[in-house]
Parts: sequence; structure tokens; C-alpha cells
Amino acid sequence: MQPTSERLVGKATTKTTTMLKPFRKTPALNEANLLLVENEEQLQCKLADLILQNEKDGFNIKVRLARQLPLPVDGEDSRPRIDLVVFIVNLMSERSLQSVEKSIKCLDPAFFLGKVCFLVTGARCLSVSKDNLLTVRKMAALLHCPLLFAEDQTSEGVTTVAVRLLSMLKVAAGLVPMATGLQLNTLAHCVMPTDMEEIDLLS
Amino acid sequence: MDPTVRKLLVRILRKIPTGKLEETLKKWTHLSRNQQQSLDYSQPKWSLHENIVSLCQENGLTMRHVSELEMIYCMETPKLTTWRACHLTGAEDDASSVELICFKEQFKAHLSELIRNVSIKIKKHDDESVWMRIAWGDTFSKPNHLKPTYVVHYLQTPYVFICNLSSKNKPLLFQALVFATRHAAIKDANLSGRSFHAIRDLLMGHYNKTFPTNHSRPLKERNHLPTHPNIVKEHMEQAEKRHQVACETFGEGDVPKLETATYMLETRFRGGGGCAEDRQLKTVVTFESKSLLESLRYSATSGMADSTISPLLSSITQKGRNHFVITDKRDKGPDKAAQSLMS
Repeated sequence: MQPTSERLVGKATTKTTTMLKPFRKTPALNEANLLLVENEEQLQCKLADLILQNEKDGFNIKVRLARQLPLPVDGEDSRPRIDLVVFIVNLMSERSLQSVEKSIKCLDPAFFLGKVCFLVTGARCLSVSKDNLLTVRKMAALLHCPLLFAEDQTSEGVTTVAVRLLSMLKVAAGLVPMATGLQLNTLAHCVMPTDMEEIDLLS
Repeated sequence: MDPTVRKLLVRILRKIPTGKLEETLKKWTHLSRNQQQSLDYSQPKWSLHENIVSLCQENGLTMRHVSELEMIYCMETPKLTTWRACHLTGAEDDASSVELICFKEQFKAHLSELIRNVSIKIKKHDDESVWMRIAWGDTFSKPNHLKPTYVVHYLQTPYVFICNLSSKNKPLLFQALVFATRHAAIKDANLSGRSFHAIRDLLMGHYNKTFPTNHSRPLKERNHLPTHPNIVKEHMEQAEKRHQVACETFGEGDVPKLETATYMLETRFRGGGGCAEDRQLKTVVTFESKSLLESLRYSATSGMADSTISPLLSSITQKGRNHFVITDKRDKGPDKAAQSLMS
């Protein structure tokens, strides 16, 4: 990883007690755990319902909803191993982005090897400032994570993103043969467009 | 028909929406059943109103009847003008046993003594409240029925709600009220708004209140449980605590639809920027919303506001007012709460 990304997550290494670590707990058979982190707590409920509805292969999918990291220490023992962490950023509110930036610092660096994904909503809205989107893209590119865009106002949009997240979750949890989270990450991680392409995109 | 009566009748008919017109006329009972059935409500409004006016003319109705129609409509849907709440203080011993008939007689008698030409109409509503319609005149002119004052009083409580009262007639009305309800004085309750029901519910506490409890997980049915057992909310406890505190302060479920809250700050300006320290800066902070209490409660439950709700906001429900004046206590230093509001 580039040195700047280490600066983003490096600060958290001193706090070992409240940090979420990917491999500390043992996995359960045929089970996958997803953690959705969203400041507004709106989209995550709908997504959770749809993900569980769309699970057809008989795996035991569990979804945990949080507002921000770090997670409360009380539930540490009962919490299962988290396979995929999704940060939901709503471009229409400043707080959303700020909360995600704070939460990232509480995540163990090992998570960023295929177990983290960013989900952005509200990118279509014309009144949204382009700076926020650029910040999220830079963050995702720096951390080498996939960046998904979601349409959260229609039910089809939410279903689409739920199905995508479900397939990513299964790969990250090792339920898909011949595919691992790290492989998927190398294929799907966010790439910052070069300056020329950027000008074309933003004009 | 007297032209003033006709004018008033036409004005009232215009105000009442056609959907409600039929039942209002039925309640009025001054048009016979045949006459009511002869009205065709699918006609254009102006012709329907003309028919009603001609029927009233046939029946020979006077100002008294027409004002009754207005009152019936107003009692059903309180007018969207500003209602003010007032507090009666200094109850005498027999204040809690004032009855409707006694109150009516005393009020009418006293007010007619104070001002010669006044027309008073008193009606009792289903929910035990007394509605009064007062048309003011003075020594030389007849009562003006086009600008009546409406007063609502709940017997045996110290609350009075008034709308459309001019400052000229205010002392007269207050004196009559104080006398008829056997209290010593009446003062403004600092609560006003456009929705009568909201003001009444807030002041009289007619909404679901949550009481503080030491129990750590109060009634689980209230909280939104996730729909599927596989979904777990990490911050459930903190969310519940926030919800509990917010409900304790602002009420639960349907809260009165208060629309504004105004804070007049008469404190010293404490900002930087080279301003002199003891400059008085008068500021007015107004919160406006379709349902203010609901939005304040949401901002507390969703964590947007601080976890300890400022006493400035909680006094809206606790004291039942929506107009506050905040001043500095000069000897004790600036008001800290006002500080935080200004920053």
C-alpha cells in the first residue's frame, strides 16, 4: 500500500482493544457476516432486508448494522467474525463523509485486503458538490477498495446493489469455490482516473 | 334581510368548504329539512350560496342565527389565525366549583356592564370546553360582527385561549374572565400559534408523555425491532437510550403540531472581532417547522443533537410555552445557555 494510506489507518494500531480485526475469530460453517456502516441508518435497513431475501443458496447470511466504528466493546464476545465491511456514504450530507473518515481509522489494516467496500448514494443529484465524490474516490483508490454506486430512491436500485453486495460477501467469506476476496479486490478496486480523463468526466 | 347580515352570511359561506357545508347546515338546524334537501351541492359555488341566502331570507333569519353558523363552523375547524394562550392565576376557594350556567351568566353580565354594545354568544363543545364569540361595539356603534373574538375556556382549569382580540378590548375581556372564573388575575402564557389543537394539547399536556425510569430496557414493544433475526444492530443500547431521553423531553408518538418557537436574546455579545464587550445586541432566534416537537425529537434520537438536550429546548414542553426571553444575569456573568445558542 502507498505510504499515504498507511497514514490513514496507521493511527489506529495503538488502540488494539476497540479495533476490529479480521482474523481473530474462527469462521463458522456455511455462514457469512456482513457489517453495514452508515451514519444516517436509512439505507442499511432496507439493504439488510433485501440481502436476506435474495439469499437463495441456503447459506446463513447475517447482517450487522452500525452507525460508526468503533463498535461497542460490550458486544465483543458475542460478535461473530466479520467477512465484509461496507461503508455507506451519502453524498448529500457532509456528516456522512466525515463519519466514514473517522470510522476507517478504527479498522485494522488487514481488513483492507478484500474485506472492505465503499458504497456511495446520491451521486446522480445535480446539487451535490463534486468535491465530496472526488474525496470518496481518492479515499477508495488510496485504500485499494471497490467503490460501488447505488440508487437508493427506487426499490430496483436497492435490490441491484443488494445482489451485488451479496455476491461480494460470498466471495469474501470463502463460500465461492476458486475465488477469494483478495482476487476480487485486485480486479474490482477503485482506480483514480488520470488527469486527462478526470477533466473529461467532470466537464 | 339586513345588508350587514347578508354580508356576514355570504362571507361565512365562502369560508366553509363545500364538502363541509352540508353537515354544517344540518347542525345549524335553521333551515328546514325540505329546504336542506332542495339544495344541490354540485352546482357552482356562487349559485349554491345564492340559494342558501334566499332560503335564509325566506326564513327571516337575523344576525343571531348567522353568527351561530359561523360559530359552529369555527368550533369544528378552529380558524387559522393566531391563537394565544393565557393563564389564570390566584384561584379563589370556589374557583374549582364554577359551573357552566353560573359562568355564563356572570360573564355576560359583567361584560355587558363594562361595555354597552357587545354581542356575546356562549356554547359548550363536546369536550367540555366553553366557546365564546364576542362581537365588540362601543357606546355609539353597534357590535361589529365581521371581526369577532373567539375565546375558549376549559372550566375548572386555569387555561384560556383567545384569538382575534384587539388591544383596546383586551382589558375588558380579561376583567370579565377573571371575575366570572373566580380568579385573581390573568396573564399571558407566552404560547401562541396557528393551530388551536396543538396549543391546547401542549399547554394542557394532552399528549403521550414518557416518564423517567430507572429500568434500563423500558418496554421493548416500543422499540423498532429488526425484521429478521439475522439482522443485529450494533449500537442498539445507545440508540435506545437516546430514544428514551428524547421521548422524555418531547413526548412520544403523536405530539402536538407546534409550528414555531421564538427566543429573544437580550444578552451581551461575546464574540470577537473588535466589538466592545458591553454592547447589547438584541437577537431573535426562531425555529419553524411543520411539527417542531417531532423534528426536535428526531434530531435527538438520530444523534444529530447532543445527548443532553439543552434546557432551552426542553422548556418548550416542560413549561408549555413557545416564546422565551433570555437575559444576562449581570452579576453572575453571561448566561451560559444563551452562549451556546449563539455560538
